[in-house]
Amino acid sequence: MSLPKPMMRGLLAKRTRIVLPMAFVSCGGLALFYKYVVGERRKRTYAEFYKNYDATKDFNAMREAGVFDSVQPSGK
Amino acid sequence: MAYPSMLGFQDATSPIMEELLHFHDHAMIIVTLISSFVFYTITMMVITKLTYKSMLDSQEMEMVWTALPALILTMVALPSLRILYLMDELNFPNLTVKAVGHQWYWSYEYTDFEQLNFDSYMIPTQDLTPGQFRLLDTDNRMVVPVNSPIRVMVTADDVLHSWATPSLGIKLDAVPGRLNQTALMTSRPGVFYGQCSEICGANHSFMPIVVESIPLDHFEYWTHSMLNNA
Repeated sequence: MSLPKPMMRGLLAKRTRIVLPMAFVSCGGLALFYKYVVGERRKRTYAEFYKNYDATKDFNAMREAGVFDSVQPSGK
Repeated sequence: MAYPSMLGFQDATSPIMEELLHFHDHAMIIVTLISSFVFYTITMMVITKLTYKSMLDSQEMEMVWTALPALILTMVALPSLRILYLMDELNFPNLTVKAVGHQWYWSYEYTDFEQLNFDSYMIPTQDLTPGQFRLLDTDNRMVVPVNSPIRVMVTADDVLHSWATPSLGIKLDAVPGRLNQTALMTSRPGVFYGQCSEICGANHSFMPIVVESIPLDHFEYWTHSMLNNA
């Protein structure tokens, strides 16, 4: 009774055929994750902030809080 | 402004700084991709017992690992150059302000108005009033109108200084005998802080910059009051 001949060649190549595409997929996925969770989110945050931004209201709130030196609160 | 244990950039207050933030995110995506790929590949190479002892030439691999980095560098360079040239644009500024670095304070000259010049010294720690920021607040602030393109010209009187305001995305060297120019536009009103960014002597850390952005009508009122008090 003879044993089947073991695989003797191409072991690294077989492993590489699995590892390399996994590397591209996982690293690409990580990059896409960063792009959407950080990059696109930041763009959305800025766009939403300025969409309904009222500079006058913001200025008046800061003015009344005494933030500015050049403009005093309206009571003074 | 900056706060303790801060990791990222300050919130952007000018369109250029917003572009810089998005470019930084873009560059970080590429850095994350490359770093994770290299880390993964090295780990896989270290934990295997398999080797290939007959590796010679490998034209395809050489082509790939030459062309791919070139492509990645192009993906970084093109947006970078775009912002570089955007920062150089000066779109019909309404106002020119000259910031002059001295040892160890800044002075501001509004030459569009007859004699509107003033010095800006850091408020010493012992003279701070409640609500003021240590090492950041100054006695006189550079006041600018909001949403207006402004030309800022920076120079120095003695040694090298650098006029920097992170939230506006500006850092400009103040060189004696040279006028450097940049465009400034604040997208919203407020008070924005910066510090001298070129070593200039004993009190280099104690000559901060404060930019106050207010609506145009209030700015005009401020210029009148400054000229009347001069």
